[in-house]
Amino acid sequence: MSLLSVRDLTVTYDTQRGPVRAVDGLDLDVPAGSITGLVGESGCGKSTLGRALMGVLPDRGKIAAGEVIFEGQDLQTFSASARRALRWRRMAFIPQTAMNALDPVQRLSAQMAEILIERGGLSGREATARSSELFRLVGLDPARLAAYPHHFSGGMRQRASIALALALNPSLVIADEPVTALDVIVQRQVLDVLRELQARLQLSMILVTHDMAVVAYACDRVAVMYAGQIVEAGLAAEVLERPLHPYTMGLTHAFPDVHDSQMSLVPIEGSPPDLHTPPPGCRFAARCPFADARCNNEPPPSRPFGPDHLVACWHAEDATTLRGRAADPQTWAAIA
Amino acid sequence: MTALLQAEGLQKTFHSRGREVHAVQNVSLSVSPGEALGIVGESGCGKTTTARMLLRLEEPSAGRIMFDGADITNAHGRHLIAYRARAQLVFQNPFDALNPRFTIRRSLTEPLRNFAIPVSEHQDRIESVMRRVRLVPAESWLDRRPHELSGGQLQRVVLARALISGPSLIVADEPVSMLDVSVRAGILNVLRDARDSLGLAALYISHDLALIRYVCEQTIVMYLGRIVEQGPTAELISRPAHPYTRALVAAVPVARVEQNREGLPIRGSLSDAPPDPSGCLFRNRCPSVMPRCATEAPTLRTIAPGRMVACHLEGAM
Repeated sequence: MSLLSVRDLTVTYDTQRGPVRAVDGLDLDVPAGSITGLVGESGCGKSTLGRALMGVLPDRGKIAAGEVIFEGQDLQTFSASARRALRWRRMAFIPQTAMNALDPVQRLSAQMAEILIERGGLSGREATARSSELFRLVGLDPARLAAYPHHFSGGMRQRASIALALALNPSLVIADEPVTALDVIVQRQVLDVLRELQARLQLSMILVTHDMAVVAYACDRVAVMYAGQIVEAGLAAEVLERPLHPYTMGLTHAFPDVHDSQMSLVPIEGSPPDLHTPPPGCRFAARCPFADARCNNEPPPSRPFGPDHLVACWHAEDATTLRGRAADPQTWAAIA
Repeated sequence: MTALLQAEGLQKTFHSRGREVHAVQNVSLSVSPGEALGIVGESGCGKTTTARMLLRLEEPSAGRIMFDGADITNAHGRHLIAYRARAQLVFQNPFDALNPRFTIRRSLTEPLRNFAIPVSEHQDRIESVMRRVRLVPAESWLDRRPHELSGGQLQRVVLARALISGPSLIVADEPVSMLDVSVRAGILNVLRDARDSLGLAALYISHDLALIRYVCEQTIVMYLGRIVEQGPTAELISRPAHPYTRALVAAVPVARVEQNREGLPIRGSLSDAPPDPSGCLFRNRCPSVMPRCATEAPTLRTIAPGRMVACHLEGAM
């Protein structure tokens, strides 16, 4: 059974041009004990989804429809205070910039203690012991608990914000671009910390990222998001090796591989639709080299292909052929 | 081929709270026409400071910069303007590289005026550069303002502005890091094509070795202000000689599920620079450190044609 199951979720934002559906009728399942990569580009709604799941949307955003079932309970029926009680204890959040998670004028020990004592009900002595344990867990020297965040490098700060997120043993951790701002060696080290903790503590994690290589490295599952919807989801090995959606196919050719100098990169021409006025059919149709009349008029439903692979594309039956064509830059150039 | 841009012994020392910070130490490099050189390294390695010195946006503390046979280290006045017309910077962040109140046409006309290009040539130059960055037909873009364009389109305008003065050298500092993945390839392809068809020399600064591999034949790896390795990109990646390069290559994730997930051959973090700068600056993090590394700074030595490494390891290959 899924730890988290999202059904038909719609999140709207009030804007000057009227309400916009940043997340629109989205389904997502996160099994227990997995790392799910949520991939997409800026504006696709992936961060909004993460915040909606955590119950920390900004004031102008709200869940307009749908269900979020977490550990068997519909979070939409929870009061604000019941919702707050879940945060940190059952689900925790790691933001992109660790500085946003950390208070710059408090020592790390005080920030840990605040969560452990006020949220977790630990005694002062227990909190001190637990803080040291958490620092060791993420590869930081417990002696550094007395430091302020600005004494830490970017990687150390991100480790500290992971330690904070894990303080009360949550079952789900949502990490929003946790390694994007980090240098490549530090990025790898932080990803390794996340992978190791997931395995050791049997956590579930949603790792929000724009980087397919990060998904391939760290995630066992992946959900690809485009214009407020999941277009493809399943086991990472399946989705990355045999993508069924043309957008996923495009992404796999869109950036360079350090071990391959021969490949020529294929840009996905055009831009995502304006979500104030989404197109009637498939949202990717305007950028898709394989779109036909039906794609432009009818939104494709999400369909299973194989035991653990979902895709929302009218042409998924032809994916094998399309994958070959998607590797050719000429195919995509025709869209420009 | 004679180098278009050549730097010898570049140094940059900043003074911070009474301490000297050696941001760049003894960097020498050269770029020939039609060649692309990449400088790769992590934050604080000195790659951006090096690029800024080469463009004369930062005064070197020591060293010499030659461009097309002339010493431009201390060029000023019209000599500096002439250099600027021929060596153009592509900005990292397209969202604040353009004046938001200017139309695209005006943003492209500014450099033509600055470099005193005759007005009769403006329209032709603008149209041809817009074709080159694939914003066509030009007329449908030129009267728009930056807020009407996406990030990828803006970066194409930024490229157009860099190319419009007809430079011989393009310096691009993280040219796609602010852009969405799906449009990065378009920008990199425009840069590659411009180099191939115009015979431009290019210098790319990036932390991303995969990007450098895509656009550069030659690569320099910097660590804490010094060059630790340089050579043809493909060889440097397939057979890294310096222990730092090895770690850097191993750390780059690839978009395949099957990949190396072994621990990196590196210890500590960037902040673990040795307090005493007399030896190798990488020694505190190096898995192959030897006693000699603490006392003697390794100098760049040739290990194969075109390949250099600054490391005492005999088998650094």
